[in-house]
Amino acid sequence: MLKMKIKTKLIASLYLIFPAVLMAQSPVSGFMKSKGDGAVVVSYSQEKYDKVYLVPTEIDGVPVFNEVTNTSVSLYGEYGITDNFDVVVNVPYIKSEGDGSPQFLGNNGFENERKGIQDLKVYAKYRLKSFNFEKSNLDLIGAIGVETPLGDYKANEGLQSIIAIGNQSTKFTGMGIAMFKTNFGFFTSGQVGYSIRSNEVPNALLSELKIGYAASKFYVDAFVANQLSDKEGVDILAEGFTGFFPATRVNYTRIGLNAYAPVYMGLGLTGGVNTYVAGRNLGKSTGFYAGLAYSF
Amino acid sequence: MKNITILSKMLLAIVATFSLISCETESNYEDEIPSIANIAVSNNGFSVLEAAAIQGGVAVVLSNNNPNDPSGDYTVFAPTDGAFARLGLNEETLGVLQTPFLTNTLLYHVSNGNLLQNSIMDGGSSTSALGIDRRFIARGNDIYINGSKILATNINASNGTVHVIDKVMIATGVDIVQSAIALQSSQVFTSPELSFLVEAVVYADLAGALSASPGSPSFTVFAPTDQAFKDLGTALGLTFTVPADIRQLPKDLVATVLLNHVIANDGKFTSELSAGMVTPLGGDNLTLGAFNNGVLTIKGAGNADAANMVIPDVQTTNGIVHVIDKVLLPNLN
Repeated sequence: MLKMKIKTKLIASLYLIFPAVLMAQSPVSGFMKSKGDGAVVVSYSQEKYDKVYLVPTEIDGVPVFNEVTNTSVSLYGEYGITDNFDVVVNVPYIKSEGDGSPQFLGNNGFENERKGIQDLKVYAKYRLKSFNFEKSNLDLIGAIGVETPLGDYKANEGLQSIIAIGNQSTKFTGMGIAMFKTNFGFFTSGQVGYSIRSNEVPNALLSELKIGYAASKFYVDAFVANQLSDKEGVDILAEGFTGFFPATRVNYTRIGLNAYAPVYMGLGLTGGVNTYVAGRNLGKSTGFYAGLAYSF
Repeated sequence: MKNITILSKMLLAIVATFSLISCETESNYEDEIPSIANIAVSNNGFSVLEAAAIQGGVAVVLSNNNPNDPSGDYTVFAPTDGAFARLGLNEETLGVLQTPFLTNTLLYHVSNGNLLQNSIMDGGSSTSALGIDRRFIARGNDIYINGSKILATNINASNGTVHVIDKVMIATGVDIVQSAIALQSSQVFTSPELSFLVEAVVYADLAGALSASPGSPSFTVFAPTDQAFKDLGTALGLTFTVPADIRQLPKDLVATVLLNHVIANDGKFTSELSAGMVTPLGGDNLTLGAFNNGVLTIKGAGNADAANMVIPDVQTTNGIVHVIDKVLLPNLN
């Protein structure tokens, strides 16, 4: 029994952190930090789209901007206050660049670039219940979070805000996470949450399903993340649309892969790819990220 | 222990199911009908219209239902990219137009309510959102709105109906003289146009005759561009640099030449003109070439070559103006 406990502990510590820096991926994972343990990740991400999910069909070419590239540098931290209580913090700096023709942009007073510090995201997660089985373990975790604009970026510039870096919205999110892991390294987690949002941004149901494998030398997972916004949101270029993009009803299904490998003394490299496979009022972007992680 | 295993499996099943059913799928909205603005944005053939709607500030308007009509609908005659290209306009060059003029031009393509193909008939008319009527004209197997051929009809939108046309329609809302002055004073294009013509009309004392007044006739006017006047100057061995240079010519001659451009026939769109002779107010008969792709050439008795229409079918309150690239000369011998 003792041997097994040690093994479990060992594996738990090998379930190394990985950052969830991208906007369309839950900032909260099913892994818990032990008391006093933590991680810091600096990552760079890039995603690009030239198609937009509108209703009823996807369109080719982003209005005004043709193609949009978002790059970001994110700072992510996670810390175990107790074995069952973690805090997660994330701040991204985002640059959103369009590819609109200078003449057309000039005719309309638009610009091809918006950048700045986006939103501060703080989440607290608590392990409500843990079930240990012979060769596996199930954690039930509750999380609450707040996301609020840190930068004074603009979200209300009409069609210019197609490339806004955020919605200038404060969001309160509550979520439940079920995390099932085996002693062999395989795990699966599911999470469902609801987010209440200000600045006319429709509230949204969030969910994410993830399967992965964590061994001593590497970590990998695959995920599918969804957002379903409340129907009160408007569709771009449809009844109720005023040119104010935060009020639009954004839905999506995004899939991706994340990976992590320890390098030396708590330092590790992380990276991933992701793409949207369905959406509403959203750029059909595909992207990647890479980051340097330090665990302690 | 067994119960807990079952519980955990149930929980996972619930979470997994929930994750899957909350996936965004197209079936959620594929039956929805796009708005007029969405049709312009999603159709590659309307990219200039899309840009114009953005620049002219009507993209949001045409996303929504029409508050000014009980049906909530608009009817839009949508010019293709090719229609804009006839005027040298594309997404980038739209900036040569003054925004208020662009907005008015777009509104001239819009009307309240649903005007379906079966109620578009020869001799009929429709009032635009600009408040100015458009006329329907049958020619061969085609139906035209003003001088613009209707290429496709009855495209259904959530907030109305779209018909596709091959030329941008232009209405000035003022008379011939004021229309020319609008161009000359850069209210249409950001740089002046028809400045020489305006100068010539004033110099020849024809402003009164071409201005609208109660009971005054309507005309078809061929309006030469500034470059056309400069070319004429060169041909005459003179140098026309600024509009006042036109005064190097005798006043009577200028009057005769100008009247060679005006036909008192109630104002005809290109869709109503055909190859053959037309008689202007002064000078000699003009020869119209064949109606070809919506335009005709025009040749004065004193011209070696025919003039081409640069901006056809401009509707004014007292006639139709076709801007041309040559001055139409009477027989000056």
